[in-house]
Amino acid sequence: MIEIHLLMLLITVIIGLIFSYLAIIEKDSLKAIGFSAVHAIAYAIAFYILMAPDIVLAYVAVAVGIYSALLIFVVSKTERYEVV
Amino acid sequence: MSEILFYLGAVMITIGGICDLFGALGLLKFPNFYIRLHAATVGTIGGAVVPLFGVGFLALGADFLPHKYAIAGASFVTGIIVLLAAPAGSHALAYAAHKTKIVKWEPKCDHLEVEE
Amino acid sequence: MNLENSFFLLMKFVIPVYLLAFIIYAIRAFKGPTIVDIILAVDCMSFDIAAFMAILAIYFKSAFLISGAITLALWAYLLDIYIAKHLVGKEVGV
Repeated sequence: MIEIHLLMLLITVIIGLIFSYLAIIEKDSLKAIGFSAVHAIAYAIAFYILMAPDIVLAYVAVAVGIYSALLIFVVSKTERYEVV
Repeated sequence: MSEILFYLGAVMITIGGICDLFGALGLLKFPNFYIRLHAATVGTIGGAVVPLFGVGFLALGADFLPHKYAIAGASFVTGIIVLLAAPAGSHALAYAAHKTKIVKWEPKCDHLEVEE
Repeated sequence: MNLENSFFLLMKFVIPVYLLAFIIYAIRAFKGPTIVDIILAVDCMSFDIAAFMAILAIYFKSAFLISGAITLALWAYLLDIYIAKHLVGKEVGV
């Protein structure tokens, strides 16, 4: 059919949208950090197919590594579940 | 000589794709976290280390690539890194899950249980 | 047939298999009842994507695209260690 890398771009961006919605709705903080990591990996592939390798390196280092570590450190200082 | 390396790399990439699909199906269907670790082993070693070595051999045998030695070297290094890092990471997760008892399972006997 | 045509034929069969495995890993990341299930799915997914990036570097015929694979593999290992350290000792730090 059409070009195969455009089909890959469509599938991964839709998966990124679904997991970013789930990260907002979730009440448990550690599960929301896990969903945010899945969202970051989906966007890393999207930047790779769009031929931008320098953005891929910076995005993976920040969103999968430093962001998750910082938020886990914050959760260890306060409580884990959101109270409404 | 370059034809042999090219077809060897192509066979390794195909085997890696099939192993990856079986690992993903196992991760979906198994009932328990501790049993899913067995499926994750197939998914990481058979589905990511073997294709990376296959890409290294395929790049060495191809004549239409402009920078074949750079791609082959980086693929081999990434394959060795995944081979060493993936079992260590999943073992750390299994130790944390057993210590804090967050998985619901009914074993027949648990050898690592601490007697109170 | 020369090598380039046989390589493109191989790509048409292999790339949908890796994409299907990625989607099935994402279903397990959505469903898992505990937190360690989600982190295990992220681990497997990122190693699979690192192998996929190496295959696409040959498809696009560029040598600069290979460096994303090493970075993804190393940071996914560190994510496992952070979660394990937080669950055991309640402190994440140096």
